[in-house]
Amino acid sequence: MQLGFLVDLHLCMGCKGCEIACKVENEVPLSTWRLRVKYVDVGTFPETKRTFTPLRCNHCANAPCERICPVSALHYLENGIVNIDKERCIGCAGCVMACPYGAIYIDPQTQTADKCTYCAHRIASSMMPACVVACPVQANIFGDLDDPASDISKYIQRHQGDVKVRKPEKGTDPHHFYVGGGEVNLNPLASKREKGHSLFNNITTLPVGGHH
Amino acid sequence: MAAHEILAATNAVVTLDVGIPDIVWPWLVTVNMWAKSIGTGVIFMIFFLLRMYPDSSQKLRLPVAIISFIFLNIFLLFTLADLHQPLRMWHIFVYSHWTSAIAVGAMMATVFVGLVSLLVLLAWQKKNEAFDKLLLWTTILAIPVTLYTASLMAQCTARELWQMPTEAAQMMLAALIAGSATLILVGNSLSDEAKRFLGVVLGLSALMAFIIFMSEYIFGPMKAEEVTAVLAFIKGNGEWTTAFWLGQWLTYLLPMLLVVLSRVSGSTAILKLAAILSLIGLAIVKHVWLIIPQLLPMS
Repeated sequence: MQLGFLVDLHLCMGCKGCEIACKVENEVPLSTWRLRVKYVDVGTFPETKRTFTPLRCNHCANAPCERICPVSALHYLENGIVNIDKERCIGCAGCVMACPYGAIYIDPQTQTADKCTYCAHRIASSMMPACVVACPVQANIFGDLDDPASDISKYIQRHQGDVKVRKPEKGTDPHHFYVGGGEVNLNPLASKREKGHSLFNNITTLPVGGHH
Repeated sequence: MAAHEILAATNAVVTLDVGIPDIVWPWLVTVNMWAKSIGTGVIFMIFFLLRMYPDSSQKLRLPVAIISFIFLNIFLLFTLADLHQPLRMWHIFVYSHWTSAIAVGAMMATVFVGLVSLLVLLAWQKKNEAFDKLLLWTTILAIPVTLYTASLMAQCTARELWQMPTEAAQMMLAALIAGSATLILVGNSLSDEAKRFLGVVLGLSALMAFIIFMSEYIFGPMKAEEVTAVLAFIKGNGEWTTAFWLGQWLTYLLPMLLVVLSRVSGSTAILKLAAILSLIGLAIVKHVWLIIPQLLPMS
């Protein structure tokens, strides 16, 4: 079994329900996110549109974070999930530096690395990840990539020409796919990121591990 | 289509996202690398000096071993200080993950510090023969200890700028620069020939390192978009341009000129000035190269 995730960006409406569900389920501290939805505005007024992209750990089959972790705090589960043992983590932040998707952060409460685990604890109890349950439009499709009859496998088969991963050139073999994603959604270099240019706040830089 | 072309066509702007993480590996890691360069570099230099100029370098065994010991401990101290859970450092030795350059490096560095401690003891007891035998093995181990940080940086898949071949060369050259500069400063008892040798090591290492930096500066952007974006921080009005060039002048260009000048004039004072500048500059160079890839948003 190799669990994977697919987000259909045609369906995502940026409600951030997944973000909140993740926060609540995993007790993610303030200023940190295991999953978040990025808004990118495209075009020039009045010809503009807004894109929404949920971003989380890609659970790569060739995960740089797992490789660089000196104590195996980041490790593979049999179902392909890249899990983290926070009791073992020494907080060297090698994984934060290695992850090309910016998916790992230093938890300000435990001072250890943390990230999305596809809700491994829920999976162990045969439940879906919290973000999947919360999505009102079923934009999150989760399942076994090894099973051709699973929802995710069928979805990938149906949308073959439109399935993408983030930064394929890194060779990480992500188990997280997007349908309907363009460069603007998936490539951070394809959009401007102006300081202080944010809808709801002007926080542009977050202290690592909560230190100020 | 390249990212910058898409950007020009779409005028895409991130309007809502989390803040970009601040610097993950800060100046503590700079000090770590800088101190390690001195700690291993002086071992390389004393190894060569004892074989090439045994008469004038006899008295340097103890001071060099002590300098190496001190700077290696600074290196380890700052490594520890950079951990968010420093009291769990022992996990590295109990739960070692051998694909990680951090785990392998920690093991090698620990053994290396042990060997250098023994060198201090042997030099203190004036057991020169035993010292020289142990120095051979210590010098051999100093090579991977010098290089492991390069492999650690290379394992950072997110930081395209750090490529193993160039980082490995830069680590070794940094150790040669730091080692020769330190011995120029403390090696008053050395013969003029030995000092000239140290000057040559310093000057040539600086030249090679500068060539590698300029190669990356000029040709790096021709290969990868991320490298282009990272190097923009040290080009034009980039926020790290001044620091980058200050480092290049202090570590490489000025010492090269001063080494040549000292050879022409026979002045040890000029050679010492070159050594001081290169040691100061090395910290700046290391810091800039450490920070700029961290300024790029990853997602």
